Amino acid sequence: MKEIRKVLIANRGEIACRIMRTLDRLGIPSVLICHPCEIQGPAARLAPEVVEIDGDPPVSAYLDVEEIIKACKTTGADAVHPGFGFLAENSSFAERLKSDGISFIGPKPESIELMGNKLKAREFCISLGIPVVPAEQEGRGFISRLKALGFPILLKAAAGGGGKAMHEVMEEARLKETIKLAKEEALRYFGEGSVYGEKLLRDPRHVEVQILADRYGSVVHLGERDCSIQRRFQKIIEESPAPGLEPELRQELLSSAVKIAKEAGYESAGTVEFLLDGQGRFYFLEMNTRIQVEHPVTEMVTGLDLVEQQIKIAAGEPLFFTQKDIIIKGHAVEARLYAEDPESDFQPSTGRILILRLPEGSGIRVDHALEKGMNVTHAFDPMLAKIIAHGQDRQTALDLLGSALGKTVILGVTTNREFLERIVGHPTMRAGDIHTGFIASNNLKAPQLEDHQREMLLAAAALVSRQFTDQEFAVSEPYAAIGDWIN
Amino acid sequence: MRRCIELLGHRYEVSLNGPTGKWIIGIKDRHPEAASITIQGNSSFILALGEDNLPMEIARAGEEVFIQAFGRNFRLKILDPVEQAAQEAGSKGDTARAPMPGVVVETAVRPGDIVTRGTPLMTIESMKILTVIKAPRDGHVTKVHVEKGQAFEKNAILVTLGEGRERPL
Repeated sequence: MKEIRKVLIANRGEIACRIMRTLDRLGIPSVLICHPCEIQGPAARLAPEVVEIDGDPPVSAYLDVEEIIKACKTTGADAVHPGFGFLAENSSFAERLKSDGISFIGPKPESIELMGNKLKAREFCISLGIPVVPAEQEGRGFISRLKALGFPILLKAAAGGGGKAMHEVMEEARLKETIKLAKEEALRYFGEGSVYGEKLLRDPRHVEVQILADRYGSVVHLGERDCSIQRRFQKIIEESPAPGLEPELRQELLSSAVKIAKEAGYESAGTVEFLLDGQGRFYFLEMNTRIQVEHPVTEMVTGLDLVEQQIKIAAGEPLFFTQKDIIIKGHAVEARLYAEDPESDFQPSTGRILILRLPEGSGIRVDHALEKGMNVTHAFDPMLAKIIAHGQDRQTALDLLGSALGKTVILGVTTNREFLERIVGHPTMRAGDIHTGFIASNNLKAPQLEDHQREMLLAAAALVSRQFTDQEFAVSEPYAAIGDWIN
Repeated sequence: MRRCIELLGHRYEVSLNGPTGKWIIGIKDRHPEAASITIQGNSSFILALGEDNLPMEIARAGEEVFIQAFGRNFRLKILDPVEQAAQEAGSKGDTARAPMPGVVVETAVRPGDIVTRGTPLMTIESMKILTVIKAPRDGHVTKVHVEKGQAFEKNAILVTLGEGRERPL
């Protein structure tokens, strides 16, 4: 067993803050790496120790293996928590740390490698008798084999994951050009251009199983999460347990996930993702070898701290519970607040946060690294915050989440707040009738503005605008207060 | 003072006449009415318009006004008369604009190149998604405004097209 005495967090934003909170509670000092453009930000201020790493573009700082290892050495950090994204699923990074005697808080490099290559992971599951979606790999006759598979087809990067570099092809005419684009993206984001084509399931559900495994072969599952509400292949609402799942099917998913982790000799927290078609069949999708964005819903229903478990497993401790000790209590739902415009195809938006008010209260958790005055740029991922609600049952949790979203105020940058509120209140969502086509197939458009609402908005805008009230601006109290928010 | 305010893609002419504290607002063809705004608590406002009162969250940055009211979020823009005129004059599909903020990955055309509607002009990257910017109409490229590696904001002009499909002499 190798004790962990100091942890370097190779990440940023809300997940860095979230990891720091657990380290704090465990009494383990933390070190945060930080790009200079975020040095004034909430994560850096929360950190007891910060190492600046420069880079252009700024994301490259969080991918700079050499500088991160140097930072471990100069600060005496003996372990690295990678969070998610960035280096979290980079097996050579995990390998490098190992050879430098630094613990990687995550799985072994071999496991990252196995699951990181989507084709290898598929083969592995086939060998275990776990169903996978029919697919064709690149190579001789790729195009004709894809045609034989039948449209629509989903092109994916072999080294990919997380919904990046994925392209739907609805018809043969677009096949060649889409393959070219998919390969370019694959090369750019995963450093490897090979792609494969999967038969696209019509409106499947996305259900995933959270597992924990120690290095002594114990594997438990922490129940499942339904993450079917997605746009652009990216999840925006996740919940646990999955609503309306047949008990036998649920049991099959849980035991398949445990089997995969066991047979792979997996260690740490991990997530096995499945697609469910409408006929009670399930297919292995991929395994994510890291903490996931949506882990808080599992934490709320199990009462466990997944980051704490990752740290203990990395320190060589055995799991201190067995499967029967894990009890799922109530229901939790998470909504991801993004800087994006649902009215224009979810395009990312930028701006300065002028007003910030986040919900709080019993059953509400908000994971974020936001503050008033902060600039939301396109340098980083557009996720602003995660709002999670926990209630005794699904309806209670959804009610609580809806009201929390209603109380959330972020002005200065366009967000999906209102859109999320509409999803949470939608009758189809309430009925648990969810699948990955939910957003496309339900009317989630903003209601028509009534005349008097429009007039109220225009009047308010005119009254607070300098361009209207120029000369008199300085004297009037409310306008002066608004003036404080001018950047 | 009379200005145009943009809301949800539409423009409305709004007039506001003082003195301060006794504003009379005129919106389009609606009969001008008394309007006022007061602070309630930390950053909530109450708007009074005629007989109606409505709580709102409001913030302003430059000519943009952000409002959260009746459960919804809005981004309004007070248009500068000069800018407004320029925008109206330049909207004939002569430009390919950035649909979102991002960085140029690769440019596919150079000034003088003949393009047809749909010809790829450049590949941009935004939030880890590659997008191919295509020519909005037939024509020839007169200017490429951003080069490989350069960042741009939403709505920035990326490529300008000239009239006609013939290369200029």
